[in-house]
Amino acid sequence: MPPKLVVQGLSHHYPDEYTGEDVHALDNVSLDVEEGVFAAVVGPSGCGKTTLLNILAGLLPYHKGHVKVDGVDVKGPSPDRGVVFQEHAILPWRTVARNIGHGLEIQGMPGPERSTRTQEFIDLVNLTGFEDRYPHELSGGMKQRVALARTLCANPVVMLMDEPFAAVDAQTRITLQEELNRIAMATKKTTLLITHNVDEAAFLGDKCFVFTRRPGKLKATVSIDIPRDKRIWQDLLHDPEFVAKRDEILTLVREEVSPHGDD
Amino acid sequence: MATTSPSLSPRPRPVPSARWRRFTKGGGAELLILLVGIIVLWSTISSLIPNPSRYLPAPLTVIFSSSDMLWKGLLPNYVGQTIWRLVLGSILGLLVGIPFGILLGLNRTVSDMFYPILNFFQSISGIAILPIIVVWWGNSEQTVFTVILYTALFPIAFNVLAGVRGIPIIYINVMRSLGASNMRIIRDVIIPGAMPNIATGARLGIGFAWRAVIAGEMLVGKRGLGWMIFTAQDTDHTDQVILGMVMIGTIWILIDRFALRPIEADTIQRWGLVQR
Repeated sequence: MPPKLVVQGLSHHYPDEYTGEDVHALDNVSLDVEEGVFAAVVGPSGCGKTTLLNILAGLLPYHKGHVKVDGVDVKGPSPDRGVVFQEHAILPWRTVARNIGHGLEIQGMPGPERSTRTQEFIDLVNLTGFEDRYPHELSGGMKQRVALARTLCANPVVMLMDEPFAAVDAQTRITLQEELNRIAMATKKTTLLITHNVDEAAFLGDKCFVFTRRPGKLKATVSIDIPRDKRIWQDLLHDPEFVAKRDEILTLVREEVSPHGDD
Repeated sequence: MATTSPSLSPRPRPVPSARWRRFTKGGGAELLILLVGIIVLWSTISSLIPNPSRYLPAPLTVIFSSSDMLWKGLLPNYVGQTIWRLVLGSILGLLVGIPFGILLGLNRTVSDMFYPILNFFQSISGIAILPIIVVWWGNSEQTVFTVILYTALFPIAFNVLAGVRGIPIIYINVMRSLGASNMRIIRDVIIPGAMPNIATGARLGIGFAWRAVIAGEMLVGKRGLGWMIFTAQDTDHTDQVILGMVMIGTIWILIDRFALRPIEADTIQRWGLVQR
């Protein structure tokens, strides 16, 4: 079976917004994500991770290479690629249920069917009882769960996530990571997660793509074969296999971080 | 609290005291004192100046000498006429101003093209374009409506434009990756996202329109409050002039309190968009 998501020889550069200098963001990137696989992309800041995600989402046209989802070239945004952004980006004027069911509404699914399916995903992300709340009544973690449920509910072929837990506090982040693991186990959704957090990549990924600093190239692919039902933070922190994988990724990433900090 | 044992303390009388507290806290008491003060001051000045019926009739005189207008049904008739003009003119202003503002907000080319022209016309007040409109359409209702529409249009369009520009691009990106069409994005994101500014624009625009109605009626209208105070001055009925002014201010406060603000509260506050 061909991979769900294929990136071949992708390069991208763009003029910097302020200086006008040509920024070489991605250089000859090739990677595959097979059906049902949860892949993480990790790399130092400014390595073109977000550029990659925007290209995959179809929000950014690319110059060189191929991007295919289910064998079809990516040309612009489409519901076959669901995106969860760093800022939750749920609509403040819609209730939790209306946000989560928005994709189905756009697809034209009739009301009764839509509410049944929406409810499934509300339950999946543990927001039962909050259906009629507005986003400003929710915590940051809950908002991000709404965004996740909205994307999954629309049933995309692949789910793209851009630093989805970067904006929440450390405790919430751990809970959300464990929940995302549980959801990945339940839905087996093909996923590409962009993150700068090595722990997060190792915890959630079936495989982990490590990027070099700019221009971003694929540096290494690390497979993590820990079964999903064993992925619980308290246990993994002392699991030699997890610790070894995490350290391997960490070393690869640290080699790329400029000694002066941000580059 | 419903669960508190009744024997613990003498129960206060909640209803009148709570209502009184809300009245005083909401500024009701201050307003009442202020109003009484103004009326007392006004009566005093009237009683001290020569020929008050020409220069400043006392509050009671205004009410009594204007009462024949009330009995004859003239005042309700004028008020109705003026409000009808405001309502129709404002609806026209919203129907033109909101789509126009959205178009300007969405398209840089269109807004760059129109902005200087809009800015130019914004400086020409409704009353300043009235003469040319009279030349075109004479002393007709059409003339009054045109001036109201013209006046309401700018604050509405400019505010909607700012509102549309302020919508985070990420909302639009999310909608596009959910497969939304442009029309769907306008309906589900642009219009609700610009709602705080649409409400502000509507309130400002209708406020300006209210002044424009009065001014328009003075010069071209038949009947209406503006026409009333203008002709009252001509016929030396200062009491009617003052009555008209009081009516204009009072009606506006009622429109704002009971028609415009509830719209704001019902949408924007419920969505948590006004915490800034």
